[in-house]
Amino acid sequence: MKKRSLLLTRGSLAVLLVIALSVTAFIGWKLSNDQVVKAPAEIEDYLFWEAKELTDFKLTAADNRTLGPNELKGKWSFIFFGYTHCPDVCPLTLMVLGQAFKILEKNPAVFPEVQGIFVSVDPKRDTPESLKEYVSYFNGRFIGVTGSTAELDDFSRQMSAMYTIHPKEAGQSDDTYLVTHNSTVFLVDPQGRLHGRFPPPQTPKEIAEVFMKIRMFYNERSNKRWGVF
Amino acid sequence: MGGFLKILFSLALGFVASVASADSVNIQILDPWVQAAPPNVKVLAAYLEIKNNGEKPQLLVNVSSPAFDQVGIHRSVMHGNMAHMEHLKELTIPPHASVTLKPGGLHFMLMDAKKPLRVGDSVPMTLTFKNGDKVAVAATVRAGQMEGMGDHQHMDHSEHMNHNH
Repeated sequence: MKKRSLLLTRGSLAVLLVIALSVTAFIGWKLSNDQVVKAPAEIEDYLFWEAKELTDFKLTAADNRTLGPNELKGKWSFIFFGYTHCPDVCPLTLMVLGQAFKILEKNPAVFPEVQGIFVSVDPKRDTPESLKEYVSYFNGRFIGVTGSTAELDDFSRQMSAMYTIHPKEAGQSDDTYLVTHNSTVFLVDPQGRLHGRFPPPQTPKEIAEVFMKIRMFYNERSNKRWGVF
Repeated sequence: MGGFLKILFSLALGFVASVASADSVNIQILDPWVQAAPPNVKVLAAYLEIKNNGEKPQLLVNVSSPAFDQVGIHRSVMHGNMAHMEHLKELTIPPHASVTLKPGGLHFMLMDAKKPLRVGDSVPMTLTFKNGDKVAVAATVRAGQMEGMGDHQHMDHSEHMNHNH
């Protein structure tokens, strides 16, 4: 404590103030001069070069509900592809995403804006009803969906999240085949556009913190478009 | 009393034998656990650390559990962002080394649970090694451990394993 009080003399405070002011002035000058708003470096890698509109897909959730482009609008959707007969990577990722939601839950302004969507690419073994039970175990804000092979192919193609269902291995029962799937957590923005992605391996803190920055940048940019800046 | 002495004697013999062969006593199982999952899930994963304190490599060739129809030795592998699973016929534990099964890498795939498992349940498993040794393990069901995940370390394991093969 003694050291600190020695450091904080009037002179050093003045120097700090000058530095802070010039940094602020520089940032302001940069912002007003930059024609194109560049994403901050720490979120650049998580963003798609251009947000991509998702069109005309249809997936099925429990209780006869469907998930289409309209259900994505007005929310930030975290989308993950997998299957429930996946004992390692899928529960791990859903747990990480569930914990990220726990962090976001502490921010009451943000949490109502987020939803988690688990897309099962294994409709032969996963039904919308079984998926509802499955995802609610990880977080109450998760929705489980699946669809016909054609519907899943269409949606995963739009999301660039390819998957492969492998033939069962010799000597195995019909129900023990494996599925290769993309284990990226995709981020769709409130306009229903594929906006960003969290490649594996993710951590709860990383997802929560990067999302907050992406959201802030998105909101700032929307404001700028309306002439607030 | 005779029977008791006989058992004691054979136990002692067995102990001496295993010390002599330096095999079974040299396998140590640490922290066996099963990833807790929603009750309707049929396929679960078990994790543990297998330590080989002996001079010779040990080959794990079979895993079984009365709580599941089948158990496989699996490894999750990432090709870019694509996750897929590999079935391993055996797992080598090099001498004076240990192999750790943990989320995102090596795991025992527990197939077709005979009944739903809850946090705190104990899952008995038997690990059979190529030399015939069997090791009994009781794995506890718990919600996955997240430590070490803050620094992306949980994916390092598969790379480490490649050196051992």
